[in-house]
Amino acid sequence: MTAYIVRRLFATLPVMAVVALFVFFLLRLAPGDPAAIIAGEDATSEAIAAVRAKLGLDRPLVEQFVVWLWALLQGDMGVSIFSNLPVTRLMAQRVEPTIALTLSTLFVAVSLAIPIGVVAAWKARKLVDRLVMGFAVLGFAMPVFVLAYVLIYFFAVQWQLLPVQGYQPLSAGLWPFAESLILPSVALGVTYMALIARITRASMLEVLQQDYIRTANAKGLATDRVLLLHALKNASVPIVTVIGIGIALLISGVVITETVFNIPGLGRLTVDAVLKRDYPIVQGLILVFAAAKVIVNLIIDISYAFLDPRIRY
Amino acid sequence: MSAILEVRDLHTQFDTLDGVVRAVDGVSFDVARGETLGIVGESGCGKSVTALSILRLIPPETGRIAQGSIRFEGTELTALGEEEMKGLRGHRISMIFQEPMTSLNPVLTVGTQIAENVVRHMGVPWSAARERAREMLDLVRIADARRRLDEYPHQLSGGMRQRVMIAMALSCDPQVLIADEPTTALDVTIQAQILDLMIELKEKTGTAIVLITHDLGVVAETTERVVVMYAGRKVEEAPVEALFDNPLHPYTRGLMRAIPRLDVEADAAGTRPRLQEIPGLVPILTRPIVGCAFAARCELATDRCRATPPPFVDAGGGHTVACWEVTL
Repeated sequence: MTAYIVRRLFATLPVMAVVALFVFFLLRLAPGDPAAIIAGEDATSEAIAAVRAKLGLDRPLVEQFVVWLWALLQGDMGVSIFSNLPVTRLMAQRVEPTIALTLSTLFVAVSLAIPIGVVAAWKARKLVDRLVMGFAVLGFAMPVFVLAYVLIYFFAVQWQLLPVQGYQPLSAGLWPFAESLILPSVALGVTYMALIARITRASMLEVLQQDYIRTANAKGLATDRVLLLHALKNASVPIVTVIGIGIALLISGVVITETVFNIPGLGRLTVDAVLKRDYPIVQGLILVFAAAKVIVNLIIDISYAFLDPRIRY
Repeated sequence: MSAILEVRDLHTQFDTLDGVVRAVDGVSFDVARGETLGIVGESGCGKSVTALSILRLIPPETGRIAQGSIRFEGTELTALGEEEMKGLRGHRISMIFQEPMTSLNPVLTVGTQIAENVVRHMGVPWSAARERAREMLDLVRIADARRRLDEYPHQLSGGMRQRVMIAMALSCDPQVLIADEPTTALDVTIQAQILDLMIELKEKTGTAIVLITHDLGVVAETTERVVVMYAGRKVEEAPVEALFDNPLHPYTRGLMRAIPRLDVEADAAGTRPRLQEIPGLVPILTRPIVGCAFAARCELATDRCRATPPPFVDAGGGHTVACWEVTL
């Protein structure tokens, strides 16, 4: 197992190298001249050239890449074109809300989706199943921003139970922190929950047909043990796979959710940086998101071996 | 011998797109304490459904026990609540299945799967249940039992998995063990080992065995009494020697003739006589069968056979047969 984990860790390096290469060239080749934007609307061509020289944007692409990569390996992602602050520091300031939002969304989605999916499969084709799955389809079809505004309208504006928007760090206390995360997590989590619930139901339905479930029933085991141990553990590999795929969806969802709820996280930073063509920040963010994705995949691959003893690499 | 299990006029039906299938259509038999009863018949004759009916494991979405009585130690099982039924399954009546490859849970260790049965029914802590599981593995002669407890089914051979199934089924000392084609999926040498093991354990524990099979060789070697089923009905019941010495029902006789024999000499040209198959096909169970279920394939059939179901005729010595044309 340890050898497998180490091997998988090394296998992530080429992936990250390709991401780095891709990220660098994609942005440099995109239209729009950051030097012209920084210099301002009425700037002379001399002024623009001066800005370009100062930022190294006039150097050959290959040279820019080597300089950038060398700095990156030392943990230096460059300096924001606009604020002149180091990209790593800007990201560090914004990372807490995003991690908090992602984890709370994951928690909301998974903790609801799995019971829903299990019950739906258990009561397949009965009323409970149809209600729950109808709700799941609705949830899956609902765009995040629509649901977000609907939730804000009722829970924050009409009933004034929760804050309209904003974020409280954990250091401000557990309740203010949790309170600020409830609506964004639910808004972002519903689509995700619907997806996991459907996969849980489908996977459980298949497993419940298996001979070993009949064996478990022939032993007179309690229903919860049959469902939650005998069936769910066998059904878990596809479920975990979808949870992993869903984390990729979450990253794009975070951008929208943070904008709607005015949460100062990496999603907002991304929107701002893209609109201003602040290359160093955009590059840093894509690398961080890609690294997060690679790590999630790694965790999921490793979890397979724990969930199903037949899987050995 | 007193009967521990009495099945009376059992009807089990399934709903399908083609209509109601009468998988078991009025079957009655007794199982005495500690005896081995064989239920024999071809695929689709209702043997397995009879077994699942006894444990009330017929999927409620599609099937049901429509009529009849199943009494276990005097308790009417068809009237029992689901929770009481669960207390019985795996404890007083347990079951092993045909496919040892798929009947064990692939993601749980062998030890967990045996011990959970003990924890459930004996109310002992896990540590004691695990010790019981190890004892059971010793009993079914799995070498190195302590290590095997922590292994998963895919690490065991087919024969070993069936031994594990037997260990699991017997772990709570059941009164009745229903074995549904327990050796069909195994190769011949392993079949013999598993059957010998079951018979040996039966002698040791006094558990009655209901052995469901389509293999007359298995019936001859292991059972004491036999019920022959055809198209969801019982056609003949007899002590095993009587059945093989003097099969009475035309269907049973047909089955006996269809067994390849090694002691039949080839003639001068080196050809052996052709095996005699039973002509025709089993009836379609969605259509109600009027008269004898076997009439359409029976060379002795008369108009009476086709019109009225035959009553059971007692041939003496516990040998009964449902046939109008039988000559005793």
